Amino acid sequence: MKNRTITLSNGKTVEQPRSHKLAVCILLLAALALSVRVTGFQMSVLIRGGYRFFDILKQMVPPDIDYLDHVWGPLFDTIKMSILGSAAGAVLAVPFSVLASSNIVKNRGIIGAVRIFYSIVRTLPTLVTALIATYIFGLGTFAGTIAIGVFTFSYVGKLLYEQIETVDMGAYEAMEALGADRFHAFLYSVVPQILPGYISNCLFCFEGNVRYAAILGYVGAGGLGLIINEKVGWREYDKVGMILVTLFGAVVIIEFISHQIRKRLT
Amino acid sequence: MIRFEQVSKIYSNGVKGLDNVTLDIEQGEFVAIIGLSGAGKSTLLRSINRMHGITGGSLTVDGVDVTKLKGKELRKFRRKIGMIFQSFNLITRTTVINNVLTSRVPDLPWWRSLLGIYRKEDKIAALEALDKVGILDKAYSRVDQLSGGQQQRVALARTLAQNPSIILADEPVAALDPVTAKQVMDDFRHINREMKITVIINIHHVDLALDYADRVIGIRAGKIVYDGPASQVDEKVLSSIYNGQEYGKMEAVQ
Amino acid sequence: MNERIAAQLNAEKSPLLKRLLLAAAILAVLVWSSVGIRSTSAVGNGMAVAGSIVRGILTPDLSFLFDLTAQGVPYLLLETVCIAFMGTLVGAVIAIPFAFLGAANIVPKGIALVSRVAVMAVRTIPSFVYGLMFIRVTGPGAFAGLMTMSLCSVGMVSKMYIESIEDLDKKILESLDASGCTFFQKIRYGILPQLLPDFASTVIYRFDMNLRDATVLGLVGAGGIGAPLIFAMNSYRWNEVGSILIGLIVLILIIEVFSTRIRNKLVRG
Repeated sequence: MKNRTITLSNGKTVEQPRSHKLAVCILLLAALALSVRVTGFQMSVLIRGGYRFFDILKQMVPPDIDYLDHVWGPLFDTIKMSILGSAAGAVLAVPFSVLASSNIVKNRGIIGAVRIFYSIVRTLPTLVTALIATYIFGLGTFAGTIAIGVFTFSYVGKLLYEQIETVDMGAYEAMEALGADRFHAFLYSVVPQILPGYISNCLFCFEGNVRYAAILGYVGAGGLGLIINEKVGWREYDKVGMILVTLFGAVVIIEFISHQIRKRLT
Repeated sequence: MIRFEQVSKIYSNGVKGLDNVTLDIEQGEFVAIIGLSGAGKSTLLRSINRMHGITGGSLTVDGVDVTKLKGKELRKFRRKIGMIFQSFNLITRTTVINNVLTSRVPDLPWWRSLLGIYRKEDKIAALEALDKVGILDKAYSRVDQLSGGQQQRVALARTLAQNPSIILADEPVAALDPVTAKQVMDDFRHINREMKITVIINIHHVDLALDYADRVIGIRAGKIVYDGPASQVDEKVLSSIYNGQEYGKMEAVQ
Repeated sequence: MNERIAAQLNAEKSPLLKRLLLAAAILAVLVWSSVGIRSTSAVGNGMAVAGSIVRGILTPDLSFLFDLTAQGVPYLLLETVCIAFMGTLVGAVIAIPFAFLGAANIVPKGIALVSRVAVMAVRTIPSFVYGLMFIRVTGPGAFAGLMTMSLCSVGMVSKMYIESIEDLDKKILESLDASGCTFFQKIRYGILPQLLPDFASTVIYRFDMNLRDATVLGLVGAGGIGAPLIFAMNSYRWNEVGSILIGLIVLILIIEVFSTRIRNKLVRG
């Protein structure tokens, strides 16, 4: 395919870059057709049987209020797992991210190695990490904390080194010129620039982690997932409803607080 | 005293930054280095505090061989030399005084420097430095709320707070408007005269250089082509420095 | 020290007390959350298990990894990609009305708030509960998986849609008005060109995430590579776990490289 040439009335020519739109459309349609075939997607099934989606949902209402007393423990377990895991992961990410920043470390080998490590850790689904953690550390909230920590490490870590790389290095240069060593130059010139963004990322990650932590109980890693799984198994959907309502409330409160803090940071 | 003896600098790509430079600068002088962009002004200035290394010759500051310094000794050496940058190089999202205080960090005990807790004497030194450049009232403002001229004064105060005997200024007024540029140059003159600090300035604006400096060093392609009093710089000297090209009159640059 | 300097010195608000309080608060939260983090079952020989996991992953079951039948890793990965693709697509479509109803510059604030709360509620229900709900509609398998995935995507996707909608530049509409465009022409030529790149970028980003999350679906029998992975883990067949994880990691890395490139192109034009 060649670029299309348009000739104006005064004889000047303009070359129009060729467009990929058609190719992209064909590719997307092909992917769609393949996916529909592989997954067995049928609109008609959704239309005909769609109402059954609400079967379980209907049984959740009204939620079993009396069950609330049994929800608090696992709820706080979930929140504790998220806080501790997020904190541990976020702190652990700092040295790794510094090593992955091309404006601080000049050795390309180190930078590449740390980044590949981050990428690989990031591909591990949290649930799989949690399952592996239960094999190594036993069932319970500790395994869940590890899984949350690993996820936070990879998520916050990537954002952190990208952030360090966009920092204005002028102040760092000035610190070196006035006789500070590299550690102090970093501490006093780079850290003040990245700290608000870093904390904001950590809090954002923590918000998401609360939801994740609620699933981890499914593989025995403690928290709300444990009792959701149990009650779903017993088909006590009114209790599941109560758990979900409580979780919703907790998430709303946590997101509100975290949002307020993040707003004040910038 | 700063002494360059046959100093040369060849970059890894083969470009000659400095070519056989020999010169002495006495304590308390006000020196302006002029020349085209890329002529080696910055290299010359930055080799004095080893922000750039040299590849040949010898360079001593007060008898200390700069090329032999490394690690802790180098950092101790740099404490005596202040540096001012074209882009101010401040931490803009924190307060003025916190920026000035950073120049005290290398002298703090390790636990203070780790936690960022300054001594009272550090704070007084920082405030006095701010007073000297006339922005004491801005001490607790955030730097990003200040004008360019005020920001360069914060940088100047940061340098003064480390009690330097030499100040190196790399294009300190290039980012400022003509009026503010004059004010900042006045600050340099003041510091040079009152405190007997050596001031070495890289500068693009020839008229400012001639107005303020006692001595002018003209540099072209890494070589010194003029070194003498500002009063003796004439059209012929300038055309040799600027290779016959239009030189940086302030109005032309702005 | 002259008076003016002394005055400024005293004017400083002491940061020490504030910092100490903050440090104490953070410490208290951390201590509170560490209390009660525990393992309920005996830890056993965790190190030995860790060792065998690492060994299994380093010596993957190669015949399984390159088995081209419907039971092999390549097909399972294909299925996972297809679930993620369809799931993202359906989720992206469902998110559109939520996003327009949640954008404060288009609808009244009350409606926007209701829509946002609804999205939060949708996000709160854990994926495996959705999985169970959809299995009633579609039966177990990939279909249920993709529907689950789509609902799980709605929250984030609509949130990011809302951001792009609220960033819309309305001045363009004025100029289109001036050139005499109809309402639909204004949407087609004024709004869509602004939104499409952002939306596409969001959807691709979510596709990336969905691919990672697709393993969760296996838990409820909703297709993809998650189920074989978890079966293999539950029966300690670490070589198979290794094959699956290697396949998954390579797939995700490749897709990440492409999606980052496409998104950069979309954003920068």
